[in-house]
Amino acid sequence: MRPSRLPRHCRASGDPASPLARAGSPGRHGRPRGAIWLALALLVVAAPSLARTIVASAAPDRVAVTIYRDPNRPADRAPNLSFLSGYALVSETRRITLPAGESEIRFEGVAEGILPQSAIISGLGDGVIERNRDAYLLSPGTLIERSLGHRVHLRRTMAATGEVREEEAVIRSGADGALVLQTAAGIEALRCSGLNETIVYDEVPPGLSARPTLSVRARADAPLTATVTLSYLASGFDWRADYVAHVSEDGEAVDLFAWLTLANTDTTSFPDADTQAVAGRLNRADRRVPPAEARPINLDCWPADTTSDLPEEQRQDIVVTGSRIAAERAYAMAPPPPPPPAAPDAAMVATQEELGDVKLYRIPEPVTIAANSQKQVAFLARPRVAVRFVYRQTVAPVARGAPAPARRVMVARNRTADGLGVPLPAGSLVLFDGRGGRPILVGAGTIDDHAVGEDVEIGLGAATGVTSMLRVVGAGKRDRDFELVVTNDRPVPVHFEASLAGGEVRGASARLSRRDGMPLWTVTIPANGRATLTYSLPPLS
Amino acid sequence: MRLVFIASAAAIALAAPAAAQIETEIPPPSETAQGEVSVTIYNNDLALVQDTRRLDVSAGRSRQEFPDVSAQIRPETVTLTGDGIGIVEQNFDFDLLSPQALMQKAVGETVTLVRTNPATGAQTRERARVLAANGGVVLQIGERIEVLRDDGLPVRVIFDRVPAGLRARPTLSVTVESQRGGRRPLTLTYLTPGLGWSADYVALFDEANGRMDVQGWVTLTNNSGTPYNNAEVLLVAGSVGGDRGGARSYGARRAAPGVIREAGTESADRERLGDYYLYPLPERTTIANRQTKQVSFLSVAGAPARRAYEYRNAWLHSADDPESVDTVLRFSSSRDQGLGDALPAGTVRVYQRDARGNPQFVGESPIDHTPMGSDIGLTTGQAFDVKVQPTVERRERVSSGRWRTTMRYVLTNASGEPVTVDLVQGGLWGDTRIVEQSQPSERRSADEAVWHVAVPANGEASLTATFDTRF
Repeated sequence: MRPSRLPRHCRASGDPASPLARAGSPGRHGRPRGAIWLALALLVVAAPSLARTIVASAAPDRVAVTIYRDPNRPADRAPNLSFLSGYALVSETRRITLPAGESEIRFEGVAEGILPQSAIISGLGDGVIERNRDAYLLSPGTLIERSLGHRVHLRRTMAATGEVREEEAVIRSGADGALVLQTAAGIEALRCSGLNETIVYDEVPPGLSARPTLSVRARADAPLTATVTLSYLASGFDWRADYVAHVSEDGEAVDLFAWLTLANTDTTSFPDADTQAVAGRLNRADRRVPPAEARPINLDCWPADTTSDLPEEQRQDIVVTGSRIAAERAYAMAPPPPPPPAAPDAAMVATQEELGDVKLYRIPEPVTIAANSQKQVAFLARPRVAVRFVYRQTVAPVARGAPAPARRVMVARNRTADGLGVPLPAGSLVLFDGRGGRPILVGAGTIDDHAVGEDVEIGLGAATGVTSMLRVVGAGKRDRDFELVVTNDRPVPVHFEASLAGGEVRGASARLSRRDGMPLWTVTIPANGRATLTYSLPPLS
Repeated sequence: MRLVFIASAAAIALAAPAAAQIETEIPPPSETAQGEVSVTIYNNDLALVQDTRRLDVSAGRSRQEFPDVSAQIRPETVTLTGDGIGIVEQNFDFDLLSPQALMQKAVGETVTLVRTNPATGAQTRERARVLAANGGVVLQIGERIEVLRDDGLPVRVIFDRVPAGLRARPTLSVTVESQRGGRRPLTLTYLTPGLGWSADYVALFDEANGRMDVQGWVTLTNNSGTPYNNAEVLLVAGSVGGDRGGARSYGARRAAPGVIREAGTESADRERLGDYYLYPLPERTTIANRQTKQVSFLSVAGAPARRAYEYRNAWLHSADDPESVDTVLRFSSSRDQGLGDALPAGTVRVYQRDARGNPQFVGESPIDHTPMGSDIGLTTGQAFDVKVQPTVERRERVSSGRWRTTMRYVLTNASGEPVTVDLVQGGLWGDTRIVEQSQPSERRSADEAVWHVAVPANGEASLTATFDTRF
């Protein structure tokens, strides 16, 4: 927070970078310092926009960030870290000192993706006259645009002698296309001369900022110091849950651990922010923020192509190793496996609160939401959640020449009695099995939002050894007869469920139940065995 | 004035130490921070990396960085475990150092400009404050405002330091809380794409004796951008994930027979966890980036195999020219009469010896994960000498709801050996009956009838059949 009567870059504060603060520093062109002061004094008088004080607030004192998910991202898709479509509510407090009279408060260090319409400013009482978001940025093009009719310096460097010449000029055209200047010699166009030439300005025209800036015009009767709260929505954030499950020794439960994974692709960092994440679907209207305007002039040279632009060579080594895997079935000779990792141990766990119809996850301590980063904090650790592993298939009456692998599904009831009973926000799940000595990833799936009491079913992948094959064994006027053979190459019995699509089933060779409107065949396939179901469907119309 | 500049530039040059040592904390690429690494690789471009590093953890909270993880790491899958530590938070920062980022972060800061006079080569130094970096860099130099390199003259921009938060590469860091200080092993587990494997089989078929020799090779590739040094490697036959619900799980694929004719139910004599067969590499190995590694895992000699000829005709299909039949290699993966092993998904390449005894390539076919005990039919190509010409000879309406169709199939064999062709007529939906046929058929399903037609050497055979259908 720095009250000032000058645009930020030429503020005569204690800033060591400011040339004005350096006593005795010779002007580059050798002008006496007195002349500078005179010029600045004239500038203050001449520029009407400086009639009100500019109060710049560089950064918030405290900030809170609540991250919302992208409402249009399906649960089975991970946030795209190069383009996040969720959003965040940023609430920040700043101590601001206002002089008496009208002033412009510039909130610097807000998120670049700010939705200015959503900003709420409190703490200034009824002194707020208007709020502005200035997205006309300081750039080479806008410098020319705003300096139209102003007096600038034209600097030419002679390539042959290295001599630098400067002369005064007045800008007579905008930045689109060529730049026309009026000089002592007449009217000229910049860089149509073949010389090395550029324009040197005396000042930055008012109203141009380096980054999009939110500003407030406010009026105060007397000087006051206020704690101002600014809240706004900003794009470029997203989050989801990432679950890590470990199969227990008996295979009937999993130890469940979950991360809140928060991502920020904004260029602004939020240090030591009170951080929350919200699960649930919220309506959002499509409000677009007009993009910031920053014009380059046609010369777009820095950064230019550099050594880092060289393409990477796509080359491969091929190594043929003569050793055999498990030669002569000697897998017992495999090296001793490393100890299985237990589920991670969380030292900080986000807590869950109810918030209207959504769930709010609060990280108990302030954390830094850095620009272009992803952060994970634990929010759930449950030992022994009862689960069942089943093989499932939806069997459509289509003749196929090859056996189809079954889906492996993990089924749980989200209730306290089964070791769970907490809201489960959408995200990914990875399942590890360490019973063979080393932990092996045995499944990966995604889960949608699940409330307490719901059945949770997570597809883990295709089974290679449990397959089914459907044959048409007869077709008549009244029905089509099918035979479904399920095989199991595992040395243990497995639980298999087939949903039979294609209409009302008649004459099934086993008792069928029903799930989700479809006849369901539930069977235990013996170890290294097979099971067969014959059934009939009505003919195709 | 120029003289003054040159003099001051010279003074600066003198002041700077002539051969300044650049101090850096970045280790050379040949060193790795990886500890004891074990890699579990799946078939679907996915690997589980477990990396145990000995790290010094101080008591209380500390931030641990983990360089040399996979360049394609899925950061949300990271798990860190260790003795007596608890995780506070995990961060993955990808705010990378680049000229643009360097300049963007320098807005408001002061940098040094070194201008080189184009004619004299004299260098002048000055301090400048970066006002904005939007489409071009606007600088404040003294009391003047100018655009960097707008006049096309050489200007070096020298930054005092790398801004905090900009990194050489995406960085994984974990903040841990520890009860006690000291060095201890920490195990980092994560998933990464870019590592994958598949099986490659070399089958040498001896047609005369009805036998074949099969060698199976594991082909392992690393395109993850990172080498894994001295790693313990485990290959898992199967895919994890990729499940998108039940809708697709039994979709209509081609009705033609697949590679697995009958799925087996035998368990192979290999290490297994749940559904997955595991193939550990026998010793630790280094998987370099962009490396393909092959390791043998299966060798079977003299397994029974035979060549079969198959032809499938679609309903009411007549061919103008005779069509080549499929050449199919039939064998089993069962313990008694076959390869005696489960076959991970991959490609089978079939070779046969020529008259001089040199193996020649006679075709290849992909196979899925195949349980042990399966009956396998591998289509390796089309036969040159054995052809079938199907013809719809007659089709007449016999009543309001019945049609009668007579098919003739002419089979020719230009080779010097008699062959048997499995001729399949498909599309027999509904209550189709075969009224008349020149040799008995086998109704494989309601949809298909198959005739095993013997065709003499350098000869011809003919088959006729009449179908009674509703369509």
